[in-house]
Amino acid sequence: MRISGYQTILYGAVAGIEICWLYVVIDTLNKKVAWGMLSVFGLLLIYPLSFGFSFLLKRRRWYRGVIYSLSWILWLAVMLFSIKSQLYADFRLLDFDWLLALSRAIAEIIYIFRPEILILIVSAVLWWLGQRLASLELDFGTLVSEFQFGLIILVATYLVAKELGVALTHSVYVTMFFFVFSLLGLSISYALEGISWLSGLYRGHWSGPLLISIGLILALGLLISAVVTPDLLQLLLTAIKWLWGFILKGINFLISLLPEPSLPSGGALPSEPMPTPPPEPDWPKLFNMPDSVRNSLRISWSVMAIGFLIFALWRISSDIFSWLRHKLASRADAEFEPLSGAFAADVLNLVKRLVKWLLGLRLRQRARKGFSLPEVHSVRRIYRQLLRWARDAGYPRLPSQTPHEYCHNLVSLLPEANADLELITHQYVGMRYGFSLPTEDELHHLTLSWYRVRQNNLKKKKPR
Amino acid sequence: MAQTRKQDSLPVARVKEASIKFINNVSKVIVSKRETIELVLAALLCEGHVLIEDVPGIGKTMLAKAVAKSLGCSFKRIQSTPDLLPSDITGIHYYNQKTSDFEFRPGPIVAIIVLVDEINRATPRTQSCLLEGMQERQITVDLETIPLPRPFLVIATQNPVELEGTFPLPEAQLDRFLLRVSLGYPSEDEEATILLRFQQENPLDSLSSVINAGELLELQRLCRQIYVEDSVRDYAVAISRATRSHQAIKLGASPRASLGLHLASQSLAAIRGRNYVIPDDVKYLTKHVLCHRLILKTEARLRRHSIEVILDEIISAVPVPVEDKL
Repeated sequence: MRISGYQTILYGAVAGIEICWLYVVIDTLNKKVAWGMLSVFGLLLIYPLSFGFSFLLKRRRWYRGVIYSLSWILWLAVMLFSIKSQLYADFRLLDFDWLLALSRAIAEIIYIFRPEILILIVSAVLWWLGQRLASLELDFGTLVSEFQFGLIILVATYLVAKELGVALTHSVYVTMFFFVFSLLGLSISYALEGISWLSGLYRGHWSGPLLISIGLILALGLLISAVVTPDLLQLLLTAIKWLWGFILKGINFLISLLPEPSLPSGGALPSEPMPTPPPEPDWPKLFNMPDSVRNSLRISWSVMAIGFLIFALWRISSDIFSWLRHKLASRADAEFEPLSGAFAADVLNLVKRLVKWLLGLRLRQRARKGFSLPEVHSVRRIYRQLLRWARDAGYPRLPSQTPHEYCHNLVSLLPEANADLELITHQYVGMRYGFSLPTEDELHHLTLSWYRVRQNNLKKKKPR
Repeated sequence: MAQTRKQDSLPVARVKEASIKFINNVSKVIVSKRETIELVLAALLCEGHVLIEDVPGIGKTMLAKAVAKSLGCSFKRIQSTPDLLPSDITGIHYYNQKTSDFEFRPGPIVAIIVLVDEINRATPRTQSCLLEGMQERQITVDLETIPLPRPFLVIATQNPVELEGTFPLPEAQLDRFLLRVSLGYPSEDEEATILLRFQQENPLDSLSSVINAGELLELQRLCRQIYVEDSVRDYAVAISRATRSHQAIKLGASPRASLGLHLASQSLAAIRGRNYVIPDDVKYLTKHVLCHRLILKTEARLRRHSIEVILDEIISAVPVPVEDKL
């Protein structure tokens, strides 16, 4: 398996991102659990070791179980070596006292969290992360996930460290490197997927612009840190306060233009002792004006506000439509057709649909109320009478029969009543499932039909 | 009478008028199969896909072509063969030397009416590439998602008898077909009429379109306005649910099937000039919508039970919402 230069950089970027947040986490744990006696950089070496080993093993076409077993056996050796070198450096390698100390630390894990356990856990996590990196598909999505996850861990660890009172070392550099690795990985993966400016004319010369960009950002950051002093910040704060005060005055003035609620004419409330009014600020005196002018201003203000709102909506919608049209036009084989007045037509269509929907809703509500209307009651009563009459004659409707199927059955028994039976069924079906109310004439015909149907003696009939 | 409800029958009249035109037009080619044509139209009006299943020589492809021609929309045909590849259907990105860039060349699926002839002759891999298009009206080619034109209708044909060199459609594929229809053998008179009609020339050649894509979209919109009373909706759901608990059925109807039954009932009601759905619509469509989606248990198959008979049982067990208190 060969990897390209870009892939190497991406592996480096992901490793850099992970090492940055791992450094902060391990440093915090080291200072809290192991009193800072462990070498964080020494522990972090496990990560590239695991990656390299896993990467080499991947090239072998061995069973996955064999590869994993080998990998974790090596981790055991590395972990023991780390414990030996970091905590028991004075002991000889073949001196089993340090191994006994390790087993004691594991046995006492419930009572006390010893540095040996920290090394064990940290080395396992680092080993697993190294393995994971070796089998990772590096694309833009992966880089974004790595960046997001790393950022969350970084921020969370800083907060936890602050709460625990742990003073972290090199936190500024680590954070800076974290962002540098993230930006590097994100930009290259983005370019490799062919969706950025790097995929076009400058694809072959991406490194120059990228490094210049990073350099410019860093230089700008340094410049800002040199220029922005506490005095300057104080000055800016004062300016913002003054501006905000001015805006508040303007808002107060606009509020005063709104009509005040008037008390109802009758039944004045009993007067209560009023609190002493606060002294009026000086600024309203500047704006004293006759009521007529104030009213005109109020109307103008309302019209202007509504106008602005409509204009803003129109502008936003136009931009969205324009963007969509251009997006479509940029597609292969798509035809770009500017539709003048299309937006206005869309808005009109929307209003029409809204009105239709509201009307439809009202009709439905009326129709539902219709169930209690006298004509509904009449149709249902006649149909129930028909069902009862047929049932008593020995031809009940089966539960699974629809009104039309049942009508068909009855018609086969009473062909002479075909029209009447169909009319009764039709009216019932229309009312029952479609809220279709009969007119006065239809109801009259329905009553007559039922009268004619029940004149027949169904018991004597045999199906044909 | 204090109140008389004025029905808004104008939209339904439009659907009915267009339906009559369409059915008459297709009937110029397909003799005496108005019910089948009506079913196909019902599926088209709710943007559902149709599977035409019957023995060879009955007119499956002819029906599909006549429907496509009557609609006057963009039409593409896919002749399924075992060596057909997914990219033959969806399209490919090819390198254009003039622009020095990869460009997308759409496949036959990018059309309004797509006829997939002898669908079960394509391999499952190729059949599966239709899944996304049929359900989501989009295709994904090389990480790029391409929306399909609207309306988008797949009419597929298959021969249920001949199994040599065929691949049965998987359940996921079958579930995406709204209706399965079959034409059946014509009667003696009908067969004679067919011979007479095809004596001089193929009537398909002179068939004109009666509905265009815009009108079809409008008709589809009107069909969605057809009123479905709560108890009728519950009736459709009850039928679907009954298939899931029936002892002879291994795989019952999916919620997509219930939705399909609901939509198809609306379309059928509109075609028949009603602005409301009645239980008869649901009952009539049940077999066409559900039959191809259900799987019988092995013991039921060994007892030579058929899905049609089981569905009849289910329909006769589900009460129709009528007056319950006499």
